[in-house]
Amino acid sequence: MAARHPVYRSLVRLYPKAFRGHYGDDLVAHFADLVNDRGASAAWARTGVDLIVTVPRYRLEHFMTEQHSATTLNVAITLLAAGGVLSVLMGVYPGVLLLVAALVLAVAERSTIARAIRTPDSNRRRRRLGIAAVLALIFLASIGSYAQDLNDDHISGASLLVHNAIGVPAMVGAIIFLIVGLCTPKGSDNRPVAPVVS
Amino acid sequence: MTRLDPSSLLPLPQAQFHVLVALTEGERHGYAIMQAVESSSDGNVRMGPATLYGTLKRLVDRGLAEELVGRPVADDDQRRRYYRLTGLGQQVCAAEAERLARLVRITRSNLRPGMA
Repeated sequence: MAARHPVYRSLVRLYPKAFRGHYGDDLVAHFADLVNDRGASAAWARTGVDLIVTVPRYRLEHFMTEQHSATTLNVAITLLAAGGVLSVLMGVYPGVLLLVAALVLAVAERSTIARAIRTPDSNRRRRRLGIAAVLALIFLASIGSYAQDLNDDHISGASLLVHNAIGVPAMVGAIIFLIVGLCTPKGSDNRPVAPVVS
Repeated sequence: MTRLDPSSLLPLPQAQFHVLVALTEGERHGYAIMQAVESSSDGNVRMGPATLYGTLKRLVDRGLAEELVGRPVADDDQRRRYYRLTGLGQQVCAAEAERLARLVRITRSNLRPGMA
């Protein structure tokens, strides 16, 4: 039955390996039942929309699993560290901040904080990304004001202080919270369940 | 011994609740679940194959449904995978139904004066 639908079978390959390994034959059998019951065009109309919606969603969910989050975190630390070293070598000394961010994440990764980062939790993920967005806005506001002063050829002490004391830390914080937020898997499948002692 | 609190899993996503409701009638395979969902929603909820099996996977992962090892119907297609509600699934389904019923009561109560 399934062998009669090679196109759909090949499209099923777009799903993550774990999902198609477990449900691949069921998906094709289901599609074959749809074709038998409602005709090919109705089956394709429903399945086409289904493919468009679920392939990216399941791919993203698969990517955001705990294992992949750990990989993402390691890649981010490496990139930040490499960027920091390159910046310093090129004489861009604020690049040290990238090294600091890499160091903070590396320490976090090897501590109990890592477990908190990798625990699937949609709310925490949203909160962390939200904090990153707010910090990014603060940094942009600070850099905007600094750029305005530069444009006017007059950098006041207050502007410099605001930029260095608020803007730069906000940038580092935004980078850290963005990475940590992206590394926090969504918790829709693993919503924490409050235990009830009986 | 610990057990899970069904209310901690609420509110259920719509697709999950529809599938749980379909399984309250007994063990079903995927295609029969899709038909039951269409029937119970007057054709308003139409699940594609991957949406359905993704939903079933979530329900199984959360312990609300389980795959049957054997086949409830001897002469049925042996390739079909059957599913049924777990005890927790029944409790969660009932709790979600009660939650929605409460919402319906509040809505009716609030709208009645304006509708009269």
